Amino acid sequence: MVNDPFRSDPPRDDRAPSDRQRGDKRGEALAETLSVLEGAGWPEAEVYAKTGRSRTFVVEGSRLISTVRREEGWAVRAGDPRRSFFYAATGTPRPDAPWPEADGEGLRLPSPRPVARWTAPADLDAPLVGENDALALIRGIGRALDTELPGARLIRAVLDDGASEAQLLSSRSMAARTRQRVAILRLEAGKQKLAARVHVEALAREARLLNPVALARRLADRLLVAERGETPVRDRGEILLAPPVAARLLAGLVPLWLGPSAAGQALGELHGRLGGKPLTLIDNGRLPGGLVEAPVDGEGVTARGVRLVAEGVAQQPLLAWWQTPRQPGLASGCSQRPSWRDLPRPGPTHFFLTPSPETSVADLVADLSRGYYLLDAEGEARINPGGDRFALPVCGFSIDRGHASGAVTGAELVGSIRALLRGILATARDLTFLPAAGGMVGAPTVLVRGLELVRRPS
Amino acid sequence: MAFDDIDTAGVARTIARLLARPEDAADAYFERIEEVALPADGKAPGFRVRFEEGLAVRLERGEQSWLATADRIDGRALTEAVRRVARTQPRAELPDPRFSLAPPAPAEADEVLGFPSAVRQAVRERQASLPVGLDVKRHRRTLLVVGARIASPIEREAFYSVTASTPHGRWGGLFTTLDDAAATHVARALVRAWRSREAEPPEPWSGPCVLGPEAAAVLLHEAVAHALEADTLALGGHPEAAVGVRLGAEHVSVIDDPSAAPQPVRRTVDDEGTPVLRRWLVRDGTVEQPLCDRAWAATSERLAAGAGRRGGRHQAPVPRSHHLELVAGEHTEEELLADAEDGLYLPSVSRGHLDPHAGTFELRFPNALRIQNRVASTPTGPCVLRGRIGDLLSAVVAIGSEVRPAGAGWCAKGGVRMPVWATVPAIRVEGLQVTAP
Repeated sequence: MVNDPFRSDPPRDDRAPSDRQRGDKRGEALAETLSVLEGAGWPEAEVYAKTGRSRTFVVEGSRLISTVRREEGWAVRAGDPRRSFFYAATGTPRPDAPWPEADGEGLRLPSPRPVARWTAPADLDAPLVGENDALALIRGIGRALDTELPGARLIRAVLDDGASEAQLLSSRSMAARTRQRVAILRLEAGKQKLAARVHVEALAREARLLNPVALARRLADRLLVAERGETPVRDRGEILLAPPVAARLLAGLVPLWLGPSAAGQALGELHGRLGGKPLTLIDNGRLPGGLVEAPVDGEGVTARGVRLVAEGVAQQPLLAWWQTPRQPGLASGCSQRPSWRDLPRPGPTHFFLTPSPETSVADLVADLSRGYYLLDAEGEARINPGGDRFALPVCGFSIDRGHASGAVTGAELVGSIRALLRGILATARDLTFLPAAGGMVGAPTVLVRGLELVRRPS
Repeated sequence: MAFDDIDTAGVARTIARLLARPEDAADAYFERIEEVALPADGKAPGFRVRFEEGLAVRLERGEQSWLATADRIDGRALTEAVRRVARTQPRAELPDPRFSLAPPAPAEADEVLGFPSAVRQAVRERQASLPVGLDVKRHRRTLLVVGARIASPIEREAFYSVTASTPHGRWGGLFTTLDDAAATHVARALVRAWRSREAEPPEPWSGPCVLGPEAAAVLLHEAVAHALEADTLALGGHPEAAVGVRLGAEHVSVIDDPSAAPQPVRRTVDDEGTPVLRRWLVRDGTVEQPLCDRAWAATSERLAAGAGRRGGRHQAPVPRSHHLELVAGEHTEEELLADAEDGLYLPSVSRGHLDPHAGTFELRFPNALRIQNRVASTPTGPCVLRGRIGDLLSAVVAIGSEVRPAGAGWCAKGGVRMPVWATVPAIRVEGLQVTAP
């Protein structure tokens, strides 16, 4: 059995004839290169190839940089129990490449396992955004921002739109192929007489799915907070964390769930209680609609969803196949391979706090008698797992009887990691993902108690 | 040899087809990279080699530029890239230029293989016993820029990056040769971290501090070089407005000169093919010539190109420094210490950061030494030096007389990583705030 996710349900191949021809040639070169390595006596050998095409538009005032990239590269891992090597290069796999001398540690590769049926999302084949459409989107955001908040202006916009395809063959009969398609828009805005700049990031499978008015509103909210916000000296109580805040915090916690020892050290014994019922953490490489959904991971291992925490009780850490040799059923297919240059490494796929489909954000805000609604993170979380503490720069609103009573800026959300996990009281339905820790980390709006809002150190 | 067989005249003819308006400029950039890595013990796979080659074609028209890149070097890849950036399609097809590049040779790197044991030996010689994990890499890069009328000389860079980890800290830096001096340098940093492993961070301090050459280089990189990049200056207005602004005392002069960098990374042209300058960023305390690439230099007669750098073929050039120099002063290192009694000696930086919006910088030090009786002797724990860019050069009260290559490292700004180099003396600063992290 080979891990070819497309064998039972082949995708429509509507690539341009020249691209298809190149893809076929690449497949042949992959097989020929593997054959040469096996012929050279390497019991463990893997050939991996990845191609990508992307467009990037950087707009700063009247300045424009438009980039079209065609990337193609490949990599070989080969070895035996005592020594191994890694060779990576641009272009198409070459059976006559100058392999380096094997040295150092031995190598072991995964064996194939049955792969559940998989249908690739149809929008993987959508064309990349063109220059006119990209500029129309960015200018549309600029116009909408000016309407939402007169005097505000878009300072910089970077739109990245890309698609990639990876193929893998190994001496253990592993054969896999994955595809991805992601558009990322990063925006920076400012306002007259306001020194601060605000940043917003949005992702979608295709750039055309990005909503200019919604993005302009997010920027306007952030600018208003920056302009009118006050900094609380120190306060606590019930705090609502919007998805960008909750996901940024969760991203900082990812290492606590990576690998067998990390989870044990940071969280205590497995199957212990970490929090209440709303705390359910999942990692799922196949998440339907997820931006990086794929049938297999970067080593061809079957991707699947695993519950890391279920209703507050720790279940298992996130494990790659080689991290759990005695219990292979615990592995979840979580080897990341961002580029052909990179060696596979364990990491999150779609790592998220589960939403509550029946709860809207408005319900959570209305139920908040006094507290804060934190809209966005203004930087990365600083987390000290040893000391069990975190700090995250944030901004948002203070809430009084379900209504915004003032803007908050220059603040930090601080607390202990255990208090954060135990303090999750409710989640809303608006699950949103951010790119983080090499994968996607997501959270809905979260109501927490037991954390503090303090003045950010200057 | 790589690129010697590229038909540069044919490339130039192909590129010239892009020029439709008088203000247009176009170029083709060819790049070959080889990276040989020896991972730390216990990490599979063992010996690692990465070989890359590719090209980028660029058309600039006023404030707009279009870039097309490919991960191969051949005539077809070039003509496809030209077609992607062309604003109007050429009337007739051009023949693909001729390329005959030698295939990559087998990578051998005995000096990389032998370096970890040299470092461990140097650590032992300092009566320290600690496990050291070492990641050692050799980087080689060859590049060629061909414009519509002129081709630049082929440029080559070769250097090594080393990351060393112990239970007490991590050290990373760049070298142009992996010799005994490099091993000693790494060992000293590791042993210093080991000796200060239980030391408390210093109390908040704004008195005199002596920054060793390595730390001084990072300080100047963050607070002078980054601050005087045209794209950073543009956040607050037109870059030429910075020219003539007084930043510090008259004894402070900072230069960016890629042609004076250590030989293996010395450059005659930048990554846009423009000849490099001995660029006085700050002369006698006053800003003279900010860092500019071709696009920014085109916006003012007072700005000069020659500092355009690319993180790689897939990235557009940006203005960055390559090799910083601080003009030497008159003080020996002993004299710098003598006038800093009870102050701090800050030998090396673990991380530097510039906030261009706030106009502030921050340097993090893994450890420091308290200066007592004219000697930097008592170890302290980690600390942070913060300040405003506008105050930094005024805070430099004395400059050492012994310049040396120091502070080479990776600069990562805007997600683009580049190696940077420096030749600087130690400096003494006063009035900057040092606090616990």
